[in-house]
Amino acid sequence: MAKAKLKQALAQFKGVDQKLERQKRLKKQAEKKKRSKAVDEEVELEEAEDGEDDEEDGGVELDLEAINDSDSSSNNEELTNGAGEDSKDDADGVDGVDGEDEEEEDIPFSDIASIASEDKGDIVPYQRLTINNITALQAAHKRIALPYSKLTFSQHQTITTAEPVTIEDVDDDLNRELAFYAQSLSAVKAARGLLKAEGVSFARPADYFAEMVKSDEHMGRVKAKLVDTAASKKASSEARRQRDLKKFGKQVQVAKLQERDKAKRETLDKINLLKRKNEPDLFDVELEDTATTVKKDRNAKRTSRGGANGAPNKRRKKDEKFGFGGKKRFAKSGDANSSADMKDYSVAKMKGRRGKARPGKDRRAAGRD
Amino acid sequence: MAAVYKALSKTDSKKDDETKTNGMFKENRQRVLMLTSRGVTFRHRHLLNDLYSLMPHSRKEAKLDTKTKLYQLNELAELYNCNNVLFFEARKGKDLYAWMSKPPNGPTVKMHVQNLHTMDELHFTGNCLKGSRPILSFDAAFDKEAHLVVLKELFTHAFGVPKGARKSKPFVDHVMGFTIVDGKIWIRCYQINETEADKSKSIPEGDVPVEEAPKKGRSTETSLNLIEIGPRFVLTPIVMLESSFGGPVIYENKEFVSPNQIRADLRKSKAGRFNRRSEAQIETKSKLGDMGLTTYGGRKNPKDPLDNQVLFA
Repeated sequence: MAKAKLKQALAQFKGVDQKLERQKRLKKQAEKKKRSKAVDEEVELEEAEDGEDDEEDGGVELDLEAINDSDSSSNNEELTNGAGEDSKDDADGVDGVDGEDEEEEDIPFSDIASIASEDKGDIVPYQRLTINNITALQAAHKRIALPYSKLTFSQHQTITTAEPVTIEDVDDDLNRELAFYAQSLSAVKAARGLLKAEGVSFARPADYFAEMVKSDEHMGRVKAKLVDTAASKKASSEARRQRDLKKFGKQVQVAKLQERDKAKRETLDKINLLKRKNEPDLFDVELEDTATTVKKDRNAKRTSRGGANGAPNKRRKKDEKFGFGGKKRFAKSGDANSSADMKDYSVAKMKGRRGKARPGKDRRAAGRD
Repeated sequence: MAAVYKALSKTDSKKDDETKTNGMFKENRQRVLMLTSRGVTFRHRHLLNDLYSLMPHSRKEAKLDTKTKLYQLNELAELYNCNNVLFFEARKGKDLYAWMSKPPNGPTVKMHVQNLHTMDELHFTGNCLKGSRPILSFDAAFDKEAHLVVLKELFTHAFGVPKGARKSKPFVDHVMGFTIVDGKIWIRCYQINETEADKSKSIPEGDVPVEEAPKKGRSTETSLNLIEIGPRFVLTPIVMLESSFGGPVIYENKEFVSPNQIRADLRKSKAGRFNRRSEAQIETKSKLGDMGLTTYGGRKNPKDPLDNQVLFA
């Protein structure tokens, strides 16, 4: 036992990872086993291995786990070996996953020419090697799977839909999200029934207050955003309405103007028609005698020079502008006519018989309010 | 310390059961170590924060300095007693990869994260208790293929909050949906909203009078609906390793094209046009040269014996 302890201490000092070491050893064993194919020997070896582990770990708790681990890992080895050589070839570990190495693994299509279009000029298409080691995957699943048959529903709370969700077009956002929603909703309904059956509390009571995932500040922002969008929607619709109204109003105005124009034209046409009807015969011409012609000419000359009453045009204009003749004094003073005017005279006023006395200032002010 | 004691005492009392179940724990015990690599953008960081707020059984760690020695995560997980690791690796400040693993020896899956939208930028009105346990809703397609079965198990472990987890609340008020569309896993998170069904609504539903009677008896008839909380993201599985951050590759997605490849192809397709044009130019030049039409290079025409320069030389 002391020896084992010393060993352990040494290992710790060196920083050796025991589990890794053990895995390596197991791997070697598995290879050896594959070569020899001696099953019995292998079991013996395993047992010896487990014994060693016990000594190294020196714990009872971990013992169980250790056995479990070694069992499962050896199982895996067998499985991977059995699964075929491809997994062995690609078993380079994590490095094989990096981006640079991915490109090395890729192989170009042989029939590029048939696919390549004009634009694809220099692209070399790649095809990834398929690795799908089903046995290893199943083993991995078995290793980590929860014992669902032994767990109550409330312990794992997973629901799988009966039918796979099918979505025709991934880019159709609305239908896609609807399908997700429907999936979750059906799961919730099923889970609710199961939880109720188990007597587990489901919905949060209204008076249960605790910290939420989104803080009040965050929810406030969400609310503000909602209000904002609603307001902007309302404003835009209002603006559209106004625009439509304006457009319509303009149309109405234009229509009205056109109508008015039309009416005007029509009336003018009518008048012209009437005029033409009342017009004397154009060809019924009669000659004037010379005396009247001379008289008319003189008259026309006079009116063109001095207006109707014969005053010269300039004088008339000046009179209009500056006023003409007569005295300006006493224009507003009373005369015989004004004093004889009895329009404003009232007997009641003269006799002091008033209808209603005017109320006092305070009362007037109060009455105004 | 108390938690440790509790855990120990519990395991002691149930040891018989455990041995019966072949060493497997009868309980669902999960703890998730959650961290990112260096070089994440703010959105990646916010996504991590969102997930952290939704998963009370997780532990957030400082950014990991390395992107190559991921096996260090196993030690970190052991240090914090975590049996799940959710590691976000950012590349080139734009691509995000999610690693999900079950240390010490569970499988590891690497996924590409796309269409990432955090709670902050999605103005969803849904909200749920911090630490309430989600219902995990899986698409039936998860049971169709071996790698998807493993993925489903990993999701169940990582995203499902175990019963009695520290800081978890005793109510169920949100649901997480995992759906496979187009070979990708789409993840959504909804709040469960229970409302008392309106009586006016229940009357048209109950067309048959026989059904109406029991409905009236149950006064607490409720209708369920969901309100999305966020975040939204899409995962494309790339590769699966047998052990935790190491071991042989047990699955590799043939259809996955790395974003680097896509970008490179785009660039090459642009370069292709230029190359074609320049090649065509060279070709014309050589053709003209062959016909003896170029000043320099190419074939020279033989001198005409009747040329002026020959005749009168």
